[in-house]
Formats: sequence, structure tokens, C-alpha cells
Amino acid sequence: MTGTLAIIKKEIKTYFYSPLAYVLLGIFLLVMGIIFAKFVSIYVEVNAAQRFGQAQGITLDKLATYLFQNMAFILCFVTPFLTMKLFAEEKSQNTLELLLTAPIHTTGLVVGKFLGAFFLMGLMVLLSFAYPFFMILWGNPELGLIASTYLGLLLSLACYVALGALVSALASSQAVAAVWTFILLLLLWLLQSLGQGITASWGPIELGPALVYLSPLGHFNSFNEGLIQLKDLVYFVSFIFFALFLTHRVVESNRWR
Amino acid sequence: MIEVKHLTKVYGDRVAVDNISFTVNKGEVLGFLGQNGAGKTTTMKILTGFMPATEGTASIAGFDVFESPIEVKKRIGYLPETPPVYKELLVGEYLSFVAELRGVPSKERAGKIDAALQKCNLGDVRNRLIGNLSKGYRQRVGIAQALVHDPDVLILDEPTVGLDPKQVHESRSLIKSLRSSHTVIYSTHILSEVAASCDRIIIINGGKIVAQELVNPHGTAGATSKTEITVQTVNDRLVGGIKGIPGVTGVEVFSNGSHKLVVECEPRAELMAQISKYVVSENAGLTQMSPVQLSLEDYYLKLIGGRVA
Repeated sequence: MTGTLAIIKKEIKTYFYSPLAYVLLGIFLLVMGIIFAKFVSIYVEVNAAQRFGQAQGITLDKLATYLFQNMAFILCFVTPFLTMKLFAEEKSQNTLELLLTAPIHTTGLVVGKFLGAFFLMGLMVLLSFAYPFFMILWGNPELGLIASTYLGLLLSLACYVALGALVSALASSQAVAAVWTFILLLLLWLLQSLGQGITASWGPIELGPALVYLSPLGHFNSFNEGLIQLKDLVYFVSFIFFALFLTHRVVESNRWR
Repeated sequence: MIEVKHLTKVYGDRVAVDNISFTVNKGEVLGFLGQNGAGKTTTMKILTGFMPATEGTASIAGFDVFESPIEVKKRIGYLPETPPVYKELLVGEYLSFVAELRGVPSKERAGKIDAALQKCNLGDVRNRLIGNLSKGYRQRVGIAQALVHDPDVLILDEPTVGLDPKQVHESRSLIKSLRSSHTVIYSTHILSEVAASCDRIIIINGGKIVAQELVNPHGTAGATSKTEITVQTVNDRLVGGIKGIPGVTGVEVFSNGSHKLVVECEPRAELMAQISKYVVSENAGLTQMSPVQLSLEDYYLKLIGGRVA
């Protein structure tokens, strides 16, 4: 347990020892800020036009939904840079041997690494609370909706990080890990729209809905609409568990090679 | 303290470690000697629980390496071939991380880190970035990392590689000073090092143990010593007589005009006296008798099938 804690602390510490964490946090907030400002100006324009009967109005909640959907997508670009080092760096500087000969189970090691990276992602999401904060300050958004959206965001992020950890454990270098994590995350997102166009089925399984189910997008969208459903929770939890389980196996395989 | 029985490790079709067995007693310093690729590192990696063996067992402090790896790892300090350091951490931070990782309670941590820094002479670089340190310093940080949790057993894989002569000397005395409280296994291919700091050596070649010897204080190894005797006349009776003395294990005759005999016997002074007395009593005309020092280097080369220069 203390070993896992040591790893979490070290991960977080080393993120802030390199400029990477600051740069990523900064870029993420900048991009989100631009998107937020743009959405707000569209919101104002549309609602002004509505008064003259020229357009259908949008609610502040709709604005929040769009905003967070964008955020979930942008985090796909951020995650690879944070997760790439998790195991690939340890391998390249021979410190994996230190970790694997320390009195800590591989499970503790994998969970420690996962939580360390997840903490930083969580921090990022926490800072993004600035946008809903302004909405609350100037408007009257549905608070429950924002809460469920944040829960969905954190769960999606946990999936991204778990997948990133797995790729980092497999990859030979950090750059390779980053590229592959990004490709896989993008593919997972695209499964949503890809699946919708497929009508073929394989036995009793309809391929289209199956692919849609595999994408985190739809599950995140339920949270984003204020729905906390068991099936979405099951999806996220099993995704995280499965990715971390595979990571465990891959890290463990370093002993055999 | 350490017990290894019939350990075998096979990589694909290459046998890296072939059925080796040895024991190391508490407080002993064992030198692990062999060429590059002889199987030293593999054996050490198995002992530290990094990788499993194909066959055989190993136990440390009574715990089986394969069945209770966590218990074993708690009692081991390990320095791999390349020191496992994080370049972005300060020396002090790094040692604190390793101490916590190895389960040193937070109250004792500061004291143990100080002790490790002091033992390895790292006090003046405590607040420096590891990435900015020279190779020698990094190596010492690696050693400090291995002993920060005050383990019973230290396993050091080539701890003196990359150090300058002064540092080599220092690390040797460091290893010697660890003898009282720790059991140490360390590998090297530098022979003078073993002679200087080990109680016992194991020579490994092609994955097999070719010799296990105690090291005597003069840096010679082996259970026998050789003595060169020059006489004026050599005959079978003389040779047979010398062979008959208890303790003598072999007599070699060079009769190329110089009448030299090389007697191999147990390294005891009274045996020498006995041999000389016999040769004189035989009236063989003893002209010279001198011990042949078989240095560790000769011994090593002989064992691994190299040529003694």
C-alpha cells in the first residue's frame, strides 16, 4: 500500500518537474477558453435573433452539453501526452527493474501509475470548472446536469488513461506510445458514427449497435444529458478494469522476456 | 542466508544458467566472477525475484524467491547493471521515493536516507539533480538506493563499473564495511576487486559454476599451492617418494636438462619443510625450492579455459 502511494506521489511530482504538465494544462485551458467564448457569443447572438423571431433559441443547458462534448473530445488529444511516459519511460531508463524488484505487487504498481496520471487529468477537469462557474454566475444552468456531466467526464478520462497505460506498457518508446494511444482513442470515438451506418449482423449480434456500444462517446453522452444509467457505468468500469488487467499482464511479461 | 539449489534458466534454446547450486552465509561477501554473458546477471535477477527460473529453487532468509517474492524483496537491496535512477529527481528525493517504495516507515525514513548518503559519500550532492551527476556519482546513488532500507542481503551487479580508481577503492572499502551487517553478493569481472573485498568467490562460466573458493588474504585462490624444486638428479624413486608424502596431490617432472619438479600440495608450511627434508635425505642435490604463486588471474583463466600468460 505504501508502495502504491509512493508511486502515485512520484508520478504527480515528476509531471510537474517537467514543463509538460504546465504546457498541457495551459494549452487545454486556452483551447477550452476559446471554444467557451465562441459558444457564449453564439448563444447570445442566437437568443438575440430569437427575440425577433428569426431563429429558434437555445438554452444554457444545451450550451453546456456542447461545451462538454467538445471537452471530452479535446481530452483525447491531451491524454496521450500524459500517459506516454507511464511505463515506456521506466523501460527506457531501466527503472522498471527497480519497481519490479521492490516489495510491491504488480497490481499495486499498475494502479499507482494509473491513479498518478488520472490525478493530473482530474486536475485538468477541475480547472475547467471555470466555464460552468461563469454560467452559474451569469445564468441559471441545471446543476444536476453539470454534476452528471462531470461524473461522465471523469469516467471517460479514466478509460483514456487506462488505455494509455496499456499502450505505454506495450510501446518501446514514449513517442510510439503517444501516437498509438491517440490513434486508438480516435478510433474508439469514431466507432460511434461508424457503427451507426452498419446494418450487417453476425448471428444474433447486430454489428452496428455493438460497435456503437464499444465507443465511449455514447456512454458519455448519456451522462452529458443528465442520465446516470447502470449500463453506462458498467461500460466504463469494465473498460477501465479490462485495460488495467491487460496492462498488468504486459508489465508482468517483462519478467519473462 | 542465501540458498540456491539446481537453478536453471533457459531463454528460448539458450541455456543462460545451468543447474547451479550454492549457499551464502550471513555476513559473508561473495564475489560472483565470470566473463560477460556467463550468467551472472541472470542469476542475480532470479535471486531478486525479477524473473522466474526455469527450474530449481532459491531462498533468501528462509523465504522462497518464487513462493513469497514480496517477503524476499523486502530483505533485498539490488543494484542492477545500469543504476535505476530518475534523472529528473534530486538525489535526496530519489532515495526518499525508493525508501517509501520499499516500505520504510515514514518516521525512520529521514534517518535511513542520511545513513545511506553518508555511507556512499553522497552528502554533498544530496540536493543535486541526478541527471546532472557524473557516471561515478550515479553509480553511487545506485548503491545508496540498494541499501537505503537497510536490507539483510545486498545484490550488486558490477557496482564498480564506470568508477574512477579512487572511487573503485572507496566502493571496495564500502563493500567491506557492509560485511558486518549485510550479506553481500556482487558480480564483477575485475579480479583484483574480488581479491580485495570478498570472503569467497564463485566463478561461473557458460552458466555453470566452475569453482567455489575461499579467498585468502594474499589474493590467491585455490586449495592447493605449487612449489618448484630444482635438483641435480631426478629419478623415479625421488618422484615416488614425494608423491608418497601425505598432502601432496601431484608431481610434475620437467627433465629438459634443468631437472625441475613442480610439486602440487596443500598450502601448509610444515609440508614444505617435510618435502625439502625428504629431497635432501635422498641426496638428490637440492639447488632451489620456490613457491609458485598461482594468482587469481591465472587461476581464473585456467578455469574458464583460457591460456595462462
